[in-house]
Parts: sequence; C-alpha cells; structure tokens
Amino acid sequence: MLRSFWSWGCIYCFIVFVAAAPWPMTRERQTSSQTISFSREILPIFNENCFRCHGLQKQTSNLDLRSRAGLLKGGQHGPAIVPGDADASHLFRRVAGLEKPSMPLEGELDPSEIEMLRRWINQGAPWDGEQTEATTAVPHSSAEVVPAIVHGMETAPQARRFWAFRKPVRSAVPQVKSVGWSLHPIDAFLMRAMEEKGLTPAPRADRYTLVRRAYLDLIGLPPSPDEVKAFVNDTALDAWENLIDRLLASPHYGERWGRHWLDVARYADSSGFEEDVDRPTAWRYRDYVIRSFNMDKPYNLFIAEQLAGDELDWVTFDSKIATGFLRAGPRVMDREKDNPEYRFNYLDDMIATTAQGILGLSVQCARCHDHKFDPIPQMDYYRLQAVFFPYVDVDHYLAPQQEVKSYLACKELIEGQIKSLREEISRIEAPYRDKFFIDKVLNRFPKDAQIAVKTPEEQRTPGQKLLANQLFQVVVSLERVPSEALEGMLAPEDREKRSGLLGEIKKLEAQLPQTPPSSIGVTDGDYRFAPEGFGDQPAPGKRIKINPELQGSFLPKGDKPYQPPPSYFLMGGDMQRRGAEMQPGFISAITEGNPPTAIQPAHKQTSGRRRALAEWITSPDNPLIARVIVNRIWHHHFGRGIVTPLNNFGRMGERPTHPELLDWLACEFVSRGWSIKQMHRLIMSSNTYQMASHFDSAENEKIDPENRMLWRFRMQRLDAETLRDSILAVTGKLNRQVGGPPVFPKIDPLVLASKKRGTWKIQEEGPEVWRRSVYVYRRRGLPFPFFQLFDLPDQTVTCPQRDVSTVATQALTLLNNEFVLHQAELLAKRIAAEAGQGFQAQVAYAYQIVLSRQVTEEEKRLGLEFLEKRRQHHDKLGNQAALVGLSHVLLNLNEFVYTR
Amino acid sequence: MDCPGKRRGFTSRREFLFDAGGGISGLALAYLLKQEGLLASSSSPCGPGGMGANSPVSPRPPHFTPRAKSVISLFMSGGVSHVDTFDPKLDLDRYHGKPLDGKGEVTVRQGYPGPLMRSPFSFQKYGQSGIEISEIFPHVAQKADEIAFIRSMFGKSNDHVMAHYELVSGTIRMGSPSLGSWVTYGLGTENQNLPAFVVLYDARGGPFGGSANWSAGFMPSAYQGTVFRPSGDPILDLKPAKNLLPGEQRERLDLLAKLNDLDMQKYPGDHQLAARIASYELAYRMQGCAPEAVDWTKESDSVKKLYGIDNSVTAPFGVQCLLARRLVERGVRFVQVYHGGLGEQHFDTWDAHRNVKENHSQHAAEVDKPIAGLLEDLKQTGLLDSTLVVWQAEFGRMPISQYGVGRDHNPKAMTIWMAGAKIKGGQAIGATDEFGYRAAIQPHSVHDLHATILHLLGMDHTRLTYFFNGRNMRLTDVEGNLIPQIVA
Repeated sequence: MLRSFWSWGCIYCFIVFVAAAPWPMTRERQTSSQTISFSREILPIFNENCFRCHGLQKQTSNLDLRSRAGLLKGGQHGPAIVPGDADASHLFRRVAGLEKPSMPLEGELDPSEIEMLRRWINQGAPWDGEQTEATTAVPHSSAEVVPAIVHGMETAPQARRFWAFRKPVRSAVPQVKSVGWSLHPIDAFLMRAMEEKGLTPAPRADRYTLVRRAYLDLIGLPPSPDEVKAFVNDTALDAWENLIDRLLASPHYGERWGRHWLDVARYADSSGFEEDVDRPTAWRYRDYVIRSFNMDKPYNLFIAEQLAGDELDWVTFDSKIATGFLRAGPRVMDREKDNPEYRFNYLDDMIATTAQGILGLSVQCARCHDHKFDPIPQMDYYRLQAVFFPYVDVDHYLAPQQEVKSYLACKELIEGQIKSLREEISRIEAPYRDKFFIDKVLNRFPKDAQIAVKTPEEQRTPGQKLLANQLFQVVVSLERVPSEALEGMLAPEDREKRSGLLGEIKKLEAQLPQTPPSSIGVTDGDYRFAPEGFGDQPAPGKRIKINPELQGSFLPKGDKPYQPPPSYFLMGGDMQRRGAEMQPGFISAITEGNPPTAIQPAHKQTSGRRRALAEWITSPDNPLIARVIVNRIWHHHFGRGIVTPLNNFGRMGERPTHPELLDWLACEFVSRGWSIKQMHRLIMSSNTYQMASHFDSAENEKIDPENRMLWRFRMQRLDAETLRDSILAVTGKLNRQVGGPPVFPKIDPLVLASKKRGTWKIQEEGPEVWRRSVYVYRRRGLPFPFFQLFDLPDQTVTCPQRDVSTVATQALTLLNNEFVLHQAELLAKRIAAEAGQGFQAQVAYAYQIVLSRQVTEEEKRLGLEFLEKRRQHHDKLGNQAALVGLSHVLLNLNEFVYTR
Repeated sequence: MDCPGKRRGFTSRREFLFDAGGGISGLALAYLLKQEGLLASSSSPCGPGGMGANSPVSPRPPHFTPRAKSVISLFMSGGVSHVDTFDPKLDLDRYHGKPLDGKGEVTVRQGYPGPLMRSPFSFQKYGQSGIEISEIFPHVAQKADEIAFIRSMFGKSNDHVMAHYELVSGTIRMGSPSLGSWVTYGLGTENQNLPAFVVLYDARGGPFGGSANWSAGFMPSAYQGTVFRPSGDPILDLKPAKNLLPGEQRERLDLLAKLNDLDMQKYPGDHQLAARIASYELAYRMQGCAPEAVDWTKESDSVKKLYGIDNSVTAPFGVQCLLARRLVERGVRFVQVYHGGLGEQHFDTWDAHRNVKENHSQHAAEVDKPIAGLLEDLKQTGLLDSTLVVWQAEFGRMPISQYGVGRDHNPKAMTIWMAGAKIKGGQAIGATDEFGYRAAIQPHSVHDLHATILHLLGMDHTRLTYFFNGRNMRLTDVEGNLIPQIVA
C-alpha cells in the first residue's frame, strides 16, 4: 500500500507535542452512517409533535421526553421506550397506532417518521451529544424570577458536555502503521482514520497540478507559464515551501482570502431593500479585510477590531474602519424612525453574524424562545443584544482628531447660518405657496375635498377635518411648488430679497470645508437622539417625537461618562412585550467563570461592552473561536470542512470527521499566535494537501464514496470570482491594481432595468473594470449576474458556505456571454502574439497559459483538427478566427473551472 | 415514504450531482444524451420530458396525489384596492365622508388618515354564483363561476417591498427562498430544456424589491427564478454571438465534448464533471427551445385576440399571459407574472395614492381581458385542471381616502383569488369587516395561502423542509393552515 514517493514527504519536527488528555470517552462516535442520530433525526420529530405536552411547559401523564432518562422513566403507563425493542415500547406503539390513544393526539406522524423512531429504538435509542439527566435544572421558583425569564431557561450544566462547548484538547499525534507515509502531524491524524477504515491514500499530484492548485488556492489566480516552469524545474528540497511563501507574500493573497471573510461579513456596497442606497465608503472595510489578511494580522486582533475597534486601547484608523463589520448588514433606509422595530432586526443581524461567523453557533432561534436544539436560552440572546444595544451608526473620520474637530465645528457653523437663511426664505415664500395651493393645486382635487379646505376650521365636520389635514400636507409633501412658478408669483421686493438670500446661501455653501475621508462604522451612543439622516424622513405627520423628559445626546458630550440606553428582554421577540431590563452577557454554555461584561475605555465615551465581548470571544478559553476559523481555513483548502456547515457547531451541524485533528489544529493555531498564514504553511506542507485528485479505487469508493476521509484531493469548482479572475488572468488583461473604490463591469441594460433604484455606474468595458472580482460593486438588490449564476451567496446574511450547483444557464453564459467571448478573442490574440505563427506552437502554448501544463498528443491532434477545419470557413483572417474558437473552448473546459 | 424535502436538505446540500446509478463515464453519458436526443426529436424536441440525467431540478414525486402540476401566479404590483374590485362594501356609500371610527389606531403609510370613501366604481352580480365584481373587471367577471375569491387575506407589512417579500417568500425580510423556488425544489420540473421557474415582468420595470422576489434565498441558486425578458432574447446570454458562422458553435461544443471526455478518463464516474458536460448539451437545446417557447407570434389570430394582443392597451400583459400558458404547456413548473413595474410608481403600478379611479381604471383595463383570456385558453386547451392560477397583490388598500381621491396601503385586508386545479369556482371565502378595513371572518395569512398552494401541488407544507441555519426551514415557518374551501 505504501508508495515510494511518499518518502520524499517533509520531515516535520518543529512542533512540540504537549501531553494531552485522552479524547473524552463519553462521546459516541458515529460508527456507521446507518446509526440514527437523536439530535438530527429524532429531536425534530419530538419537537414538532411531542414537546408541547411532554416537554418544558407540560409533562402530561408525567411524561417528559426531553432526556433519555425521562424516556426510560416514562410516565403513568411505565417506560416510554425499551431500548432495542420498539415493538415493546409505548412510544412506538402509540405513534404507530398499535395502542390507544394514538399519538400525537391531533394528527399522526409521517410513516417515515414512525419508521425512524422504530429504527432508533431498535438501535438502542442512542443519545448523541451528552447524557442528559431528566431535566430538572429549570429554575422555576416563580417568586424569585422576574417575569421576563419565565420562559428563559438558564443553561443546564450538563449542556456544556457537548463536544463543541468543551475546550479543544491537544491530542498526541497518533502513531500510524504506515511508516513511510509522512511524519507530518496532519497526515498522521488522517492516516489513522484511513487505516481504521481500510482506505488507501492517493499518490502525490504531479508538479504541474500542484503549482496550479497552490496559485488558485492562495491567490485565486492561475500561474503564468513562466511561473509554472520555475516551480517544475526547481529541484530544491524546499521548492514547495518557497512557493507557498512567495504566494503568501503576494498582495493578491489578501484579495483571495479576504473574499472568504467578506462572505462571512455579508459585505455589500448597498443597503438592500427597496432603496438599495449606495454606501460610498463601504469599500474601506473591504480593503481593511484584504489588508489584514495580507499583513497576517493575528486573528484575535482582527476579530477584536471588528467588534470593538472604537473601544480598544489603541484605536487606529484601521480599527475604526473595522467596525464596518457590524454596519455591513442590510438596512431599510426608508421611514426608519417611524418603524423602531427595524433597529431590532439590525441588532439581530449583528448577533447572527457574530455568533455564526465567529463562533459557529446559530442563536437567532433564541430571539423568540429558548433554542430547541442547542443549550442557548432566550436570556443569552438578550444579554448579547444588550452588548450591541448601545450601537449607533457613525461615519468614522480618517483624519487627525484636530482636523476633524475643526472640520465639524466649521461645518456646524456654516450649516447653522444656511439653515436660518432658508427659514427666512420659507417665511417669504409662505403666503405665495398658500396662494399657489389654492389657485393651482386645490382645483385638481374633488369637490368635497375643496369644500373641506375652504370651510372654516371650526365649521368642518370630522370627515372634512381629516380631508383638510391631508390636503394641507400636500403642500409640504407631494406637490412642491415648482421654483419657476413661485418666482413668477413673487412681488418684486420679495423676489429681490429672496434671490439675495439665495446668493448668500450659495456663498456659504462654497465655504463649506472639504469632508475628510471617512468610513461607515459604529460606536456607542444613544439612538433615540440620532440626527435625521437619509432614510429617516418620517411619513408626513408620523414623526416619532423624542420623549421630552428624556435627557441625553446622540454621542456623549463633554466629560460625563457614557450611559447606555436601556435594553430589555422581549417576550416572544416582540418589541412591545418588554420584560426586565437586561445587562450585557455572553453565551452561557461556553462561558467560564465571570468574565467582565463591560471594559470601559479610559475616555469613558463608550460602554466597553463590545470590548468585553471581544475579549471574551478571543479568549483562549473560548472553545469555539479557534475551531471555527481553522475549520474555515480547512474548508477553503480542501473543499469541505472537518465540520459542516461551517457556521453550525451546534447539535444540528454534522459531527467533525476528524475531531482530534480539529482540536489539534485549533490548539496549534492559538499557539502560533493566531496566524492564518502559519496555518496555510502547516496545512499545505502536508502530504494530504499534495495528493492527486484523480485516484480511482473501487475499494475506497465503496468504503467512503463521499471522500470524507480525504483519501484523495477533492476537486473544487472555482467560485464565481475566481472564475472571472482566472479568465482575465489567462488572457493577460487582468488589471492587478489593489484596493480602492469599487468598479462596475457591464450589466445587460434589460437586467439593470429590472430594478431602477440603486447604483450601477456605467463604465466602459476595458482595463479599468478588468480588476479583480473582489472589487466589483456588491449591490444587494442586483447581484452581478455572472457571479449570481455561479453561486454567489445571498448578500444579506452571513454565508454558511457557498453552494456549488451545475445548471445549464452557467453553460449558456460561458458559451454566449459578451464578456467571455471578448476575452476569448483577447486570449487568441495573446496566443498568436506570444507563441508565434503555426498552429502547433499555438496549441501547445494555449495549454500552458490556460491549463498550466503541457498539451498531450491526443489533445494536440484534436485541437489541430479543429483549427484546420475552422480556418477554411473563414475567408479572411481564418487562422485567427479559428484560434478564437479554440480559446473559447479552453475557457469552457472542466479542467479550467475546477481546481485539481 | 421518503420526503424529498428532507432527503435533499440533509444530504448533498452543496454539491448537486447526477445520480445515474453508481457512476457514468463521459462516453456513456454522451451515449445517453444521444439516445435521448433521438427520442426527443421523434416527438417534440422542446416538449416535456427530455431528462438526460438527474439534475437539481429533475422531477420528484409529490407527497400525495396533486391537484395541479403547475402554477401561474399573477402579481399586481403596487397593491390593488379590494373594495374597488372584488370586495364591494355598501357601508362605504353610507358612511362616505365620515371618519373610520372604532377600529383602533389607523396606521396609514402616507400622511394623515382621511375619511371613508365610496368606491368610484359600480358593482354587479355575475354568473350563477352571483358574485359581485367591479365594473373595471368585466371580462374576469364572466369567469366568476370558475374563480374562488378569498376575501379575508391579510399580510404583515404596509411597505411595498416587505409585503412583496412576504407574498412571494412568506417572510418580510430578504434572504428566504421564494414560493417558486420551494415548488421547484420540491417537485423539480418536467422539461429540462426550459428553466423550471420562470419570471415574466412588466416591460415598464421589475416589481418592488427586484430580483429578491425570485431569489432562491438560502437554497442553491439552481432553484432561483429565471427571468424571461420582455424583449430581446428571453434568457440572458441565450443566443450565440452574432458573428459566429452557422455551425461554428456546434463545432466548438463538439471539440469541448471531446476534450472533456478525454479529461473524464482520468476521473471515471465523477458526477460533478459529468453533470457539467451534460449541462452544455442542455444549454444547447435550451438555445433552441426557449425561443420556440416564447415565440407567440405563431399563435392563431383568434388566440391572440382572446388575450387582447390585438389592442395596444391589453397587448403587453396579454403577451405575458400567453407566454405563461405556452410555458406551462411545455412543462415549466412555476410561472410568476408581474403586472406593474417600477417606472413611475404612481402611474406604472397599482399604487393608487393619488387617484384610485384613474389608476385602477387604467391598470384593470390592461389586465382584465388578458386574464380572462388566459383562463379561457387554459380551459380550451385542457390545461386548466392541472394548472393553478393565483391572482394577488402585495396588499389591499384603505377604505378611507387620501385627499378624497386616492387610497393608501392596507395589509390588514386584501382579496386574492384562485382558479384552475379543479378548485370549486364561484365561491367567496371569508369576509372583511363592514368597510373592508380588516379581514374579519375566516381570516387567512400568507402562510395559509402558501400551505394551500403547496397542498394543491401535492405537497404537505410541514414536510417540505430545507436544512439551513441549524434547523429544517419551511416556507410556512411554524404556521400555515389549509384554506378548507379551496382544498375541499
């Protein structure tokens, strides 16, 4: 089974192994795919059908199905299950209708669900995750409990036994039988799993494949023929390691790996919803992410900046920009102040993105009720909400403080002057507007409305009052008096006064200082005093007034320490049903001891709650943060995480395929200073990473058809951005400029017309838009069609992981899309220019450019045959036209769109 | 029994592969496709059938015997005033000009509430059922006995976009799959040569909320709606470039197939690669079939007349309706037709703030004949029994006026109607209060509507699930009751 070429495998010796506690024995490992998982298969059935009467709220007939012990103890009629014997189990007999009354009382289970229960009981009713004792841990002594937490169960201690809620443990690197395989610890973990299952690993990929794989993986671009040659001919022992180092040093590395994070951060350049308002400075956050990856910013700092960049000890421009993470979600931007519930959705978006993105936990269920599958009580949700609650949206100015201060002061002064001038103008205009309304507008409305307006106020009927009210609103809202019309009506002296005032305004506007560069983000403040901004315009007459008794300001003023506005527990997630006031806190199942929940900075201008969250989240004691990020890194290297989906380490997610390896990597990651680049070096230097993707083994296929054990390298379809970038790279037209405002490649006008609001600047097709795809404008209301077709994730929520679908419309696009066809022409031109004349040389060179390898004889024969045949069809420039055809075909090849 | 929803939710979520029984080589696949090409060409090359292999949208069995196979959803964007169309209210005449009292705080979208306003239109009884319908729908009125009107629908939001999202996806937030996506996910489609879920929107512009209305949300993009555009090629990038010579594209495809086949030899039995090879053949056929499907010009003059295509007012929507029929005929599962698009909101949609008489007269005139024509044509072609036609807007409008002429948004009450799918026609289900302000008798939520639609298609809304965000998501969340008179 051993292959001689494994012996070249690197010798790995710089890791100091720490004696580790053995993997907890209580955990059941999924031994066979046949085993039914309680949490995956059975719990949802109980949850939908049984818990209403036999769960938290009620235990009808004394039966409580929430624990295995409860099932065994049973209710009035004895044990609910007899493990191993479904036919003797009341539970099965009741749902199968073999015993009366059949369950559930209302309706019946699906036959497949009944079958599932039967099989589960016959398998001994295994209870995956932890062994729960009959749940008595619910603190329900109503005397002590504030109303808010009647439904807010606290986390039971046993909940922490679930694997993901325990701290990762560094296992010893396993001893493997296959001695020659590799001394690399990653290989050892994988090899042991393969040995257990009787799987044979694939051989090493050839050097052409490897160099292309490394380029596409690390920088998202295929290598040039010269770069391929350099690596293939590099005989140095550390040629591979050097290649990885070179790629990690490339500025394009951040563009590729930053993009992965931007999926997590649900980054976009527009607000979404109907208005889809442009966010002209959002790109600074995108560039911050790219920059952070390029500089290998320690992940704990990267996270801390994004959660609390405005509250750290060292606040920098970058750390302020980083708070754009919390601001990146969608916003309605219309009637915001009339609809205070919107803000709770934005808070939910922050909580969801933080919890799923960083901790791999979905906590949103707990907005309305205790999480049904994971030990996340509703209280936890509102503790987290209290952490974010003080947030307000701000523009962080990226200029020295003094400069910003004088800018703001100057602006305030001038704007104040302008405002009073405008008021003066309004006073002059008022009588004319009224006259215009009566003369020109009112007669467009029906008689009874006109009568209502003309009837003296005190004589109006209640209905007329309503009509008159509405019509007066018309003046200020719907039917603004056109400026020219007004001009004509003004008496000469008023006209003169007015134009004088307008002139003054113009002069003042010219004096407004230039706005310093800024970036959208958050800080702490009091949302109730938020100044009117775009999207805040209330419906006429609907303005929500600030309670006049309320004291405070939008941002803290003077030296007074900041006081956060109160936040409350909301029953059923309903804004109107307030419970107790909440204090900040974290997810209790993964919190040890009593970490501080507010670390107020010295200036006391913020609450320090997000900073405390950042410290808690990035603490080495946090069992999830490192596991989640190393799993993400693993996923992007291998096309599948050790845990999937990437954002669910809870009970509804899959169990890790290699738990010890996951923990080992997590520990390694922290001990290597939270360095992501170090993880790339570690992972890519393994033999596992360097295996071939084509390895046919009937035996392996049978044992592990999905290749979960990684017995060969998993081919990966290029994601949307990498596909476009690769096309531009091979045609030689990619504009490699890094960073800056977004670009707008051409979108079909008819597609643009499908949604009129929102921004899409018209830019000429050419080098200016042939930038990397990470710089293409992300419009929520109109995703760039090429990306959308190739599984761009929804841009409004944090992305669990990208889908890979194969549909005919993708083929249509690669066949007929204007951009693709144009690039095929450019590719043909490049080939002709660089390979010289002669189809032979051109075919060979085309393969080097497009697929980073030598052409085979058979491929060459087919290519030449095609070229010869095609050139006869074209009278002029036949050779070139034929070459365009070949170029187009190569861009469509499976090999081109898959990393191998 | 296995639920397709559950099965797909839990397993290959990320990779949709051909499932052709333990591996298939490129050559074998090519053979299969050729076989099928022969089969297809012997009957109608673009008709139903034509599955080379099992794609994400290949047909799947419903949970139980369905009443209908496909859906045509007619969406009147902007919000239709129910009290001026299908829900007459005598009390509006009686209390015209008086305030709407006793209903709690009246929330309007714009400005202040006005007084109650009578309908500017007259109503008449139609058909044997004697259902009262407004004078602006004279042709639809002739179909009264075939339509079930649900007069007690209500929604959650008085915002156009959120209300659109609720009607199409069950939730007011972005990011959930649309009804068409759920249906496609649950049932697949019978014609692989055309998209499973097609959207036809108004030439004046897309509906409020844009493409999120037909997005697959958290599901793979294979389930999103494909826009058939109002002019030009029906699908984006459908036609080969104009400068290609005849046969040139075919030759490129042949070379592509040969080279991909060579590559497949290294990866025998790899389903992803085989799927991709097959997708090119499907695309090639789609190039022929989609233009054929949308080429309504060959329909007879009498059919064109039936849809009002001979008249410039009714022609645009008439064409949309005729296309819907042609697509359903060819096995497309779900056709979403929008009327009213975001050009100038007050004139190009049903959003009658400024003048309900002008606005609704105009828009009803645009759709009335085409809709009646569609129902008639479906009946004549025998498709009506297997096709569910749903007519809806994102919300109803207020019984009170704006400036004495317009009406504001009202999500608390709206009328939605259904026809086809062997539903009992000539019935009015539920009722609003005396003014049509609020759904009062047998009120139905959008979840109820969706549950009912899925039921008619043979799916149990509680069993059609997709695993996402840690749980089995449903179109109807944790709600949804069937509308008994519809499923009876």
